[in-house]
Amino acid sequence: MKKFTALIVDDEAHLRQHLRHRLLQVWPELEVIGEAANASTAQQLYLEHPVDIVFLDIRMPGQSGIEIATHFIEKSIVVFVTAYDSYAIEAFEKGAVDYLLKPIEKDRLSHCCKRLQERLSLGSNSSLVSNHLNDIKNCLVQLGSSQEISSKKYLRWIQAGVGNGIRLISTSEILYFRSDEKYTSVRTEQSEYLIRKTLKELEDELDPHEFWRVHRSALVKVGAISSVLRDEKGKQVLSIRGIQEKIEVSRNHTHLFQQM
Amino acid sequence: MDTGKPNQVLPRLLSLIETSKRLWWQFFDWLAVVSWSYLVFVSFICLIIAGILGLGSIVPLLVFSSFLIKSLAGGKRKAEIAADAASVRANMEALERRVLEAEMASLQAQIEPHFLFNTLALIGQLIETEPEQASIVHGHLIKYLRAALPQIREKGNSKLGQQIELCRAYLNIMQARMQERLSFSIDCPKELQHYAFPPMMIQTLVENAIKHGLEPKTEGGHIHIGAHLGESEIVVDVNDNGLGFDLQANEGIGLSNIRERLKVLYGFRAALSIEVPETGGAHLSLHIPV
Repeated sequence: MKKFTALIVDDEAHLRQHLRHRLLQVWPELEVIGEAANASTAQQLYLEHPVDIVFLDIRMPGQSGIEIATHFIEKSIVVFVTAYDSYAIEAFEKGAVDYLLKPIEKDRLSHCCKRLQERLSLGSNSSLVSNHLNDIKNCLVQLGSSQEISSKKYLRWIQAGVGNGIRLISTSEILYFRSDEKYTSVRTEQSEYLIRKTLKELEDELDPHEFWRVHRSALVKVGAISSVLRDEKGKQVLSIRGIQEKIEVSRNHTHLFQQM
Repeated sequence: MDTGKPNQVLPRLLSLIETSKRLWWQFFDWLAVVSWSYLVFVSFICLIIAGILGLGSIVPLLVFSSFLIKSLAGGKRKAEIAADAASVRANMEALERRVLEAEMASLQAQIEPHFLFNTLALIGQLIETEPEQASIVHGHLIKYLRAALPQIREKGNSKLGQQIELCRAYLNIMQARMQERLSFSIDCPKELQHYAFPPMMIQTLVENAIKHGLEPKTEGGHIHIGAHLGESEIVVDVNDNGLGFDLQANEGIGLSNIRERLKVLYGFRAALSIEVPETGGAHLSLHIPV
């Protein structure tokens, strides 16, 4: 009988040893030809020695296991190894690829190995595998992208120079941006910072649902507005939660604050 | 002495005016709130007393003007008083709600299952290969859980020393797992260890540094925790030389949680500041008033 080969990919050395050790117990004939600590090493090893089975950790530095799985899936069987990733478990319920939960139980591993042996004895080009191939690929693409599900990414942190360092301010803290002649001032409940980015640039990079341009010189966090009042001249003026300053709404933007 | 006298008279006069003003407004507020039947009853008593004392002309005038004021301005004033009371109550409620939310949040600052299972997997492996090392990591895990489990965590008297020890246990475990990819140093002077310090904040910063800064970095890196006494505040720094900050990543529950708790506990006297040095990595500081 042909001897099957395997590759173990996990960033933690102890866990690679652990799996190798357990595999030796439940499937002594399986030859583990290599271990890799990250995605790029794994791909390199795989190029040199294509194996039958890849045990693949999901969370790794650099590329995740899910991102590189497609490299192996055509010629090998991939078994994901993960400590806790509910989304992964859900996807694998579909039965396309097996998965193992860390810490790996001996019984569970021997069950997995039996399935692998059955699958391998059918031959890698069997209809069973190729039928599933597209499903698996789709599934992986979905999983890979689920981490970056929002198509457009918005700026969440503002970098402002303070002394020698650069201070990071979370957009959740910011109440409004206001342009001065040369700088843009960033107002939080506690303090104020100056940055060089223009309001126009900020408007493009920030989430438009979160920050509204209410004036040529003001970009306001919608969630921070506590009230909109009309002054004597009929101009709309915004009160901001937590601070005294008021912000004027220019005529072009009054449509933002109309009664329902 | 002669010049002293008018100087004394003037403040007295002013304070007299002040007092009468205050009394008048008290009287006015009372008028606004009191019920008509009660006012009629009180006026009746006053009229009788006035009759006995022979103040027949002033008191009926007073009673009449009271009725007039109440009917003309009483309603508006009553509404104002009610609105004031309501807004004070609303502020109190908002504050109480925020305290409660912050408490809940600190309870929810939970242990990540990923961390727990990976550590157990490590101990499982070590039992078979290096039993002594297994026992050490097992000890660190117990230390960590004692301080980090919300059900066990001591309430109200968390000290800086304990918080640092919690981080040390966590970093020891992470070091056993990541091996040469993680190194750390802790610098907390002995005299600072007994200062009160809110729970799980430094820990959250350290976890963040590992999760976002060092774990995703192939070659790993170093974490330094340092505490020092500033001007009437304790400053705790958590520095790492990892990947730094992704400007488009959400702040995450951890950091916004810390910020909210600081605000409720200390108002504006406490702060969490985040800096990215030009050399890379991230530099987070907690400023807690003493």
